Amino acid sequence: MIADAAAKLGIDVPVYCYHEALGPLGACRMCLVQVEKMPKLATACTTAVSEGMVVHTRGPAVDKGRKGVLEFLLINHPLDCPVCDKGGECFLQDYTFQYGPPAGRFEEPKIQKVKDGPINEFILVDQERCVLCQRCVRFMGEYVGEPQLLLEGRGVETVVTTVDHEPATSQFSGNVIDLCPVGALLSVPYHHKARPWNIEREESVCTLCPVGCTTLATGRDGHIVRIEGRPVPDRSWGWLCDRGRFGFDFAVNPSRLITSYLEGREEAAARTTRQVGQWLRDAVSQHGGNSVAFVAGGLHSTEEAYQLNRFAREVVGTERLAVSRDVPGYLPRGLNGTFADIDDADAVVLIGTDPYESVPVVHLRLRDRARALPSLKLMGVAPRSLSRETLRVDTLVTHVGQEAAVLAAALSDAARGHAVLAELVSNGLGDLSGIDGEALAELGSTLVNSEHLTVLWDGLEADVEPVLVALQSVRGDKPTRVLPTWGPSNWRGFERAGFDARIESLTGILEDARDGKLQMLVLWGADLLREYPDQELVRQAYARVPVLVAESLFPPAGHESFKAILPQAGPGEVYGTYVNMEARLQVAMPSVQPPGQARPTKTYVTAWARAMEKPFVLQEDWDPYDDNSGDLVPEESVPREVRPIAPASSAPDGYELITGVLVIENGIPSDFLKPRVPQYPGRISPSDADRLGIRNQAVIKLSREGREMTAAVAVDPAMTPGRIYMPLGLADAPVNALGTGAVNVTVIEEVHSA
Amino acid sequence: MSQTFYLLRNREVPQIGHMDVYREHGGYDALKKSLAEFEPEQLVDLVKRSGLRGRGGAGFPTGVKWGFLPKDGRPRYLVVNSDEAEPGTFKDRELIENNPHQLIEGMIISSYAIGAGQAYVYCRGEFLKGSEELARAVKEAYAAGFLGENILGSGFSLDIFVYRGAGAYICGEESALLESLEGRRGNPRLKPPFPAVAGLYGMPTIVNNVETITNVPAIVTHGAEWYTSMGTEKSPGLKIMSVSGKVNRPGNYEIPLATPLRTLIEEYAGGMQEGRSIKCVIPGGSSVPLLMPDKLDTPLDYESVLQAGSMLGSGGCIVLDDTVCIVRAAARLVKFYREESCGKCTPCREGTYWMTDVLDRIEAGAGNEADLDMLLDIADNMNGKCFCPLGDASLGFMVSAIKHFRDEFEAHVREHRCPLGAKVYDTVNY
Ligand SMILES: Cc1cc2nc3c(=O)[nH]c(=O)nc-3n(C[C@H](O)[C@H](O)[C@H](O)COP(=O)(O)O)c2cc1C
Ligand code: SF4
Ligand code: SF4
Ligand code: SF4
Ligand code: FES
Repeated sequence: MIADAAAKLGIDVPVYCYHEALGPLGACRMCLVQVEKMPKLATACTTAVSEGMVVHTRGPAVDKGRKGVLEFLLINHPLDCPVCDKGGECFLQDYTFQYGPPAGRFEEPKIQKVKDGPINEFILVDQERCVLCQRCVRFMGEYVGEPQLLLEGRGVETVVTTVDHEPATSQFSGNVIDLCPVGALLSVPYHHKARPWNIEREESVCTLCPVGCTTLATGRDGHIVRIEGRPVPDRSWGWLCDRGRFGFDFAVNPSRLITSYLEGREEAAARTTRQVGQWLRDAVSQHGGNSVAFVAGGLHSTEEAYQLNRFAREVVGTERLAVSRDVPGYLPRGLNGTFADIDDADAVVLIGTDPYESVPVVHLRLRDRARALPSLKLMGVAPRSLSRETLRVDTLVTHVGQEAAVLAAALSDAARGHAVLAELVSNGLGDLSGIDGEALAELGSTLVNSEHLTVLWDGLEADVEPVLVALQSVRGDKPTRVLPTWGPSNWRGFERAGFDARIESLTGILEDARDGKLQMLVLWGADLLREYPDQELVRQAYARVPVLVAESLFPPAGHESFKAILPQAGPGEVYGTYVNMEARLQVAMPSVQPPGQARPTKTYVTAWARAMEKPFVLQEDWDPYDDNSGDLVPEESVPREVRPIAPASSAPDGYELITGVLVIENGIPSDFLKPRVPQYPGRISPSDADRLGIRNQAVIKLSREGREMTAAVAVDPAMTPGRIYMPLGLADAPVNALGTGAVNVTVIEEVHSA
Repeated sequence: MSQTFYLLRNREVPQIGHMDVYREHGGYDALKKSLAEFEPEQLVDLVKRSGLRGRGGAGFPTGVKWGFLPKDGRPRYLVVNSDEAEPGTFKDRELIENNPHQLIEGMIISSYAIGAGQAYVYCRGEFLKGSEELARAVKEAYAAGFLGENILGSGFSLDIFVYRGAGAYICGEESALLESLEGRRGNPRLKPPFPAVAGLYGMPTIVNNVETITNVPAIVTHGAEWYTSMGTEKSPGLKIMSVSGKVNRPGNYEIPLATPLRTLIEEYAGGMQEGRSIKCVIPGGSSVPLLMPDKLDTPLDYESVLQAGSMLGSGGCIVLDDTVCIVRAAARLVKFYREESCGKCTPCREGTYWMTDVLDRIEAGAGNEADLDMLLDIADNMNGKCFCPLGDASLGFMVSAIKHFRDEFEAHVREHRCPLGAKVYDTVNY
């Protein structure tokens, strides 16, 4: 289109309704240009460029046309810019200034419409300011596939509103605020909060899930008051999910740690820091450096992890450094793909993961690809169906713990005789009865024959790793790229900074702690009782280790066990680099100061080194970027060896507990998001609910071999029968207390919906 | 005046809307002939040679349009446009209410010609009676074996669906019609792709006017030469003109194209009522510029009317007499477009709103000198800049009215009142 060509050349063509991701509409008529040999002015957004075409983007006719359109847009506009949140960031203001009429000629009464009407908890609509560009409507309907906004009325009476005037529930709703070129869609948390000259808008990234969406953080008077999406040319449209957009208030949540705790009592952070330094000194001098272990997690930056790593290795002298993990899987760097691999894929296989819930914006990317390439093969291997209204996925439904075996079986079938496969399944495939042969063959052919295969993996089954290595080896030169969807969101960054991200190191540390072999355990943003897959082991380790210390944004679970808890400075409060699931390094600039006594990592480690009377010079100029790999973590070759996978165990008779990441419930609290957090986060299929006598919701007890947990579940028609789903890492219903797999279910209380 | 009717056959045979009567008068013989004697391409060729042009307003050659269908094996649809909401035009209504079988026969022949297995009639929301008559006639056609599977043993099958809109003028625009037919808001679509390439449900689709398709059986029966023997070389055949205003016999008239406007008004419509004289004429429905009485000898064919400064359009001939206030008429017409603007594009949505208010103000005596040039400037800012033709259509009459009757507009401003104290067609201004 002419509009795109002009943009590439840096020539300004004003647009309202056009957006490259949404395609041409031709509604606003703002983009008028003159094309030689065309009788009328043309709209740049709907006219395709052709060889030899001559386009004038200015000139008397064009200027008059644009002036006319702006005058039309303004006649019914309320002109209440002084009280509009978008004032100063508004394309109606900008274009009027650039192209518009100097004065208005309209003297008739203006149409009155709804002001500050609700779209949902987060968004207001001012229908009088709307220029009816339909970006919002089309984004929700066509792009997201959740048509919750629409145009109502006709002619000048046309307004944007929600379907049946019910709140829009999509988790992508907030993007319409960014898309709206004028002040018609407003952010509730930002409403009447600031003017452009009061704010600092810094480039940042969202750290709330591994997608690492690029953002702009607006700071005012020491608080972040708004997060917007930040498009990156040729890489991302700048979409965010509502979790990332509106969940920024965790920084000021009442439960945020802003002072420190020493032996359970509130204490000045400086004193606690010195005390921790003293403990470190004693541990090292009496038991040696390796008696101290560090576990990195949470929302720390790569630089912070690097400072901690250097401190641990050089000052403490320990090699016990691990990353907090909530799933056991690991992905070798060499297999790690980027989002471009979604755009290029002819086949995508989802292993365990539901992108909509675990990595929301990647779901949009997948949908984008599926729309661009209707023949895209989209398959899933998971213990529940991964298909949704917005993204059709052929799911091969397995039992818990069978994913690796199913994938290996499909692969062995489709690439019979490949040497690496013999090794992979040398322990046998186990019991795969009940797995549909045809589906298996289709999966195999997709895995082997697709030209560009992109895999998303949730890491819940560690044995998938050797299968992926074998898959890569079978496919040879054809791209086989994997995107890991697990947290902590910056785990690859911690690895880059020198921490071992494989779960085995963490398990080793916890076992040593349990066995009395550790003197001191320092949890850096890690909340292991909530995270580590075996809660019991964490409990035993906490009980046994003499000195347990945490640094954190929020009090970790089991905080009574901690001898000291230090307040952490969060993202947006320190400069930091974060590595997302693409292994891409992205910088977040700070926009505010850390609150209260919260301090960045470097402050703590410097203070400890002083307490330990050891020399330590911060390498503030350390840069996680590598000379040769651009903004990606340096490539590594894919391992050649594959370890054999464990054979699949037989399907259990009764129910199975399954889990997965639900970003909205990922443990970082937000008051803004409270209305969206499901009260009954667990899910059960209608047929199982029927059998258990549950109509809508219930609190149920799940148990296995003496362990148990309670779960609040709701009936979900999309749920696969025989499975009880609970999100990973809920504070009040931690799946790791029980572990996934066969469970007994009893209903404690049935709850009728209001 | 005795006349043989080929389209308004109900004028000669009052009960022709019923299957038995229609068949007694040769009904469905053209269908039998088509299926027995013609290959589909031959029918397309026949329609091309007849020179039949679309009667929905644009006058696009029908056979040529049919030829645009891509030959890629996708299912095709025929959609008949019976939205007829253009002020001054009421011919399709008479056809579907009184001669529905000829339309249905035309649809079957046309579907056979273009290879459509399903055909739709999109009726204007207010056409309750017409759509019921059509539905009844469709049922009769199924019962007689002219619709459904394997029609008359030819191997050709067709289903017809009659759909009624919700009463929006814009749904007469073919792409908005398709949106509406698919169950969405009736906003026009971006073109290209044109419906012939991607129409109903994205499939190749031919949209034709009721009158266009009603011509088809007559052309099959009497031949292309018969058709081209009437009218001019570029505008051959028959056209139904709807005449309204203070004439003695307002109504629909089936005329050979190129019949002079004067003949239509004075002979067919019986001339002006006692004591009234012609102030001006809108020859082709509310969307076209007016013609002054000095153009009464214009032959009513597409080219001649264009040359005279207007358009034949959909054939809605509105005769304005000397008692009509031109400002009031302009205000009323522009208001129609303001009510019917779909709201998609800025100039039409806002411009029609603005112009209506200004015209109302002038008519009420509150206008000022600058208003007239401002109206023309607003029109210039709309002209050629709207998304679909509706926006431009709102301008034709007003701009020509200011051009020809500027003194009357100025008198309103000067005297702060309507110098005629007149009404438009004695209608209630709702
Ligand atoms: C605003 C607008 C309203 C229209 N209304 C009608 C209508 O009521 N009936 C009709 O046949 N065509 C109408 N048309 C023309 C159609 O878009 C289309 O050209 C026509 O149905 C094609 O049929 P034809 O080729 O047989 O004329 C309208 C066009 C516009 C722009
Ligand atoms: S609310 Fe904003 S984005 Fe939506 S149509 Fe109006 S101006 Fe466009
Ligand atoms: S998808 Fe993840 S990174 Fe992106 S905005 Fe949502 S929570 Fe943040
Ligand atoms: S010109 Fe624009 S607003 Fe008017 S009917 Fe057409 S698309 Fe709708
Ligand atoms: S940007 Fe081109 S018409 Fe809106």
